[in-house]
Amino acid sequence: MPQRYDAIVIGGGHNGLVSAAYLARAGLKTVVLERRHVLGGAAVTEEVFPGFRFSVFSYVVSLLRPEIIRELDLPRHGLDILPLDGTFTPVYEGTGRTPPKDGNGNAIGTGDYLWRVNDHGRTVRELRRWSKLDVEAYEEYGPLMVDMARFIKPILAIVPPDPASIDPRPLLPLGGLLRSFQKLTERQQAVFVQLMTMSAYDFLNQWFETDPLKATMAASGIIGTFQGIRSPGTAYVLLHHYMGEIDGAFRAWGIPKGGTGGISNAIASAARANGAEIRTEAPVARIQVGGGRASGVALASGEELEATSIVSSVDVRRTFIDLVEPGSIDPEFESEVRRFKFRGSSGKVNMALDALPNFTALPGVGEHLRGAISISPAVDDMERAYDDAKYGRFSARPYIDIVIPTLVDPSMAPPGKHVMSCFVQYAPYQLDESLGGPAGWDLQREAFGDAVVNRIAEFAPDLPSKILHRQVMTPLDIERTTGLTEGNIFQGELSLEQLFFSRPVPGWARFRTPIKDLWLCGSSTHPGGGIMGANGRIAALELLRSKGKRP
Amino acid sequence: MTGPRPEPAWDVVVIGAGHNALVTAAYVAKTGLRTLVLERRERLGGAADTTQLAKGIRVPTLAHTVGRLRPSVQKDLELSRHGLSLLAPDVRVFAPATDGTAITLYGEAEKTAVGFRINGTLRARDAEAYPAFDKRVRKLGRFLDTIGRSTPPDIDSPGLADAMNALRLGSSFKGLGRDGSRTILRVLPMAVADLVAESFESDALRAALAWRGVRFGAVGPWSAGTAAMLLLDVAGNDGGAAGETVFAKGGPGRLATALTTAAQAYGAELRTGAEVVRITSRDGVATGVVLANGEEITARAVVSGADPKRTLVDLVDPVALGPSLGWRAGNIRTPGVVAKVNLALRRLPTFPAAAGDEAALRGRIVVAPSIDAMERAFDATKYGRWSEQPILEATIPSLADPSLVEGAKPETHVMSVIAQYAPYALRDGDWSTNAEGFGDAVVGVLETVAPGIRKLISHRQVLTPADLERDYGLTGGHPFHAEAGLDQFFLWRPMLGHARYRIALERLYLCGSGAHPGGGITGGPGQNAAREILADLRRR
Repeated sequence: MPQRYDAIVIGGGHNGLVSAAYLARAGLKTVVLERRHVLGGAAVTEEVFPGFRFSVFSYVVSLLRPEIIRELDLPRHGLDILPLDGTFTPVYEGTGRTPPKDGNGNAIGTGDYLWRVNDHGRTVRELRRWSKLDVEAYEEYGPLMVDMARFIKPILAIVPPDPASIDPRPLLPLGGLLRSFQKLTERQQAVFVQLMTMSAYDFLNQWFETDPLKATMAASGIIGTFQGIRSPGTAYVLLHHYMGEIDGAFRAWGIPKGGTGGISNAIASAARANGAEIRTEAPVARIQVGGGRASGVALASGEELEATSIVSSVDVRRTFIDLVEPGSIDPEFESEVRRFKFRGSSGKVNMALDALPNFTALPGVGEHLRGAISISPAVDDMERAYDDAKYGRFSARPYIDIVIPTLVDPSMAPPGKHVMSCFVQYAPYQLDESLGGPAGWDLQREAFGDAVVNRIAEFAPDLPSKILHRQVMTPLDIERTTGLTEGNIFQGELSLEQLFFSRPVPGWARFRTPIKDLWLCGSSTHPGGGIMGANGRIAALELLRSKGKRP
Repeated sequence: MTGPRPEPAWDVVVIGAGHNALVTAAYVAKTGLRTLVLERRERLGGAADTTQLAKGIRVPTLAHTVGRLRPSVQKDLELSRHGLSLLAPDVRVFAPATDGTAITLYGEAEKTAVGFRINGTLRARDAEAYPAFDKRVRKLGRFLDTIGRSTPPDIDSPGLADAMNALRLGSSFKGLGRDGSRTILRVLPMAVADLVAESFESDALRAALAWRGVRFGAVGPWSAGTAAMLLLDVAGNDGGAAGETVFAKGGPGRLATALTTAAQAYGAELRTGAEVVRITSRDGVATGVVLANGEEITARAVVSGADPKRTLVDLVDPVALGPSLGWRAGNIRTPGVVAKVNLALRRLPTFPAAAGDEAALRGRIVVAPSIDAMERAFDATKYGRWSEQPILEATIPSLADPSLVEGAKPETHVMSVIAQYAPYALRDGDWSTNAEGFGDAVVGVLETVAPGIRKLISHRQVLTPADLERDYGLTGGHPFHAEAGLDQFFLWRPMLGHARYRIALERLYLCGSGAHPGGGITGGPGQNAAREILADLRRR
């Protein structure tokens, strides 16, 4: 007799674990099935090289929903987020207006930098060095974005309505949103519309004149997308990243103690405490469908499990094309699923360092290395990096977001050594034929790694000599390891046509699927990707509601 | 500042005499309102113009087709009675490739599909998919036409009319059916490259269809929102997937003449050489205009046919506008990327892909070899350069309309070429030193599909975005007055809160392409604006 559950959650990524925790908390007999030996999906910590531990994929956190932290009591389960202060952007020599100077008025290093920190006064003083107009604009821009994030945030907790449905009830939350929209000033309304429709560059260009400032701010508009900073729709991603908050502070980023696996472990611990069973190395091979409803799963080992509800946290394509019995879904729905765009565009290079690199613009070990280091020195550089990707090549001089977690959490490396995490864009999943085509990444992996090291070395020439080990994760590697289709870190492109009631399939944005009792709870669903957990939570609550259960 | 105000000299004064402004003027004059149109140039009609390139050789100056002109405008203003006559060739689009193959699109989808099957350049799947694609874009286009004909609602304080409007839109949305209504929400923000890739495998066909999604915009086929641009081009005419190809007999200037005659017949007064330099206002209400010669003209309503940026930033008093609106107006995006190259040809050029079929050349000749080629051409603009391999839409209007070359040597033809991408803001040098270089690039591309054409050119005119700005008052040289992106669309064209044709001041109206539903020779904004102006003036 197969084992029987109330709910089976496929995939032990952060959303799967969140879902399981909520389902178990409501009294459902719940099991999580994870393919790998570690939990967390793309939020994992692994000891890649002896003594060096890495947040292999996802590396910072800010979007994790506060209500999840609260309701699942995650701090008690070991969640500890260490703040990451500021963004340091080294730029080319001669770009700056006034060279940076030390306390004695001597010029520091060569080249220049732009350094924004959470301390407003310090950031303003730094920006003044570049442009007085930009300082004025910055004073206005920051609060405006906070207002925007406050306004839009409720949408993260909404179950998107089906615009084609005749049932008016699911539209009610939209009415609330419309009313709060009407309460905004006309200028705020206009800015909100711009955020939903403009490119990150065009949006920022209305305020700022300093090129590196626009480049480095626009960078958060393209993270995880196959879009350039001038592509319409990227301003929304800018806002998506502004919505993060830690302890109530907007746009604060942090790194979890012990790496992003620390978050997954805390959620897993909360799920277990609520009674969920979690099994690793238990890959699901098939979702069993009969009579139009999902009834259980078969593991790769041949073992079968039955459940009243199946909740899939893997992406929509993997769920319906790979796991569901072929022929058991409506062809129309299937073609919509195949239409859903993934287009992974990013890679990750993790380095074990003998010592910290020196940035020529500001040599030495300083606070500037404790935050994010952004290799985004010019608008044209960002755009050219994207151009490479459009034609099927990885960026020769990519955009890189660097974090050195050991400066905040020394436990990640042996004493005196460091780990450095480099998020890289662009690395298109589909390579051009000249680079080996779809399977080309196995041939291009090291060339890509070299491009990343060389790019950073433009600003920190001694980096190559400090590297002990290097792990290069191409989009193909991300797909193979985590199961994320085409290596898309958000389980599907965050483009306008794939958001809200169109995510993942128009008419099926309410976590249910055309197969009865099969639910989706991963980043393929509203409100999209990032270590947010909102998808897993809303899906679980929606499932519980459908069963008449109190969450 | 108290006391009775003097009675305004005019009911309505219209700034500019572009085609939309003439449409508005004609509609309001028709109701008996005293209407005055003021045009800076000596010619009326704005972008609907015909240029004499040489003796006996006339060519469409800017716009070359007029098939998007609203049928209701033609009918209401009796344009055919006023001399407008339209020519619609059977072939809508001829897209030749350098290898001698071509995509030919007709008005009828079935005929197009049959053509695909016969010449065998396309796989059967694409031929099969074409009629369904055509049907789909027509259906979505019809919905957008309903939107285009309506005034965007007032979301802050919706009135009864807004509610009626919403109901009408709602029912037309429901009319799309369950799939259609889901589809339109998904499709509008898409990249046109993705839209065409969902239906077709052939890159040449994808590119030929995607062209209308980027035409006149500072976008490439991979830019989000370009699918909406394609569908907007379908709205309100019988273009379908192929798009309209309709010529005004005698050149686009004839449309301007017909509109002028109509406006005058209804009683409007038209003045040329009358440049408006300021819009006057009192207590937030527009009161009239001031001309460059200092003359002050008062009116109950001021209507601007100029683009919204020029109207607000240059003409309205900054104090009356206020800093917030001033900032927003200054940020209206007007990135012009279109140049126009007009050629006189000694004889008809040979397109090997047409295989001697002269009829194939009567439509729009689109040279857009592939989606990537279009995207690469667009890439240049991001770095302030013009594309060395521009994307072209050429017409040879003299084939269907020999009157354009009456009086020239026999066999003479004219070719009108819309060429992208030529950004307004160049990084190196300015357009005065780059225009001929770009003209050469355009001819170079023509040579790839019509070898020998270079030698046939007897006269050449290159109009760059700088010319468009200087001569036609188009800010940034943008033919659509403001970029037709998702950020300047419907409720927020040109700006949220100012999309209902009433803009910035009371009694100030916008009636040009910068207003909903946007650019092109449609008369749409002008017709919609007239409706709102009349509603306001009657209410008083």
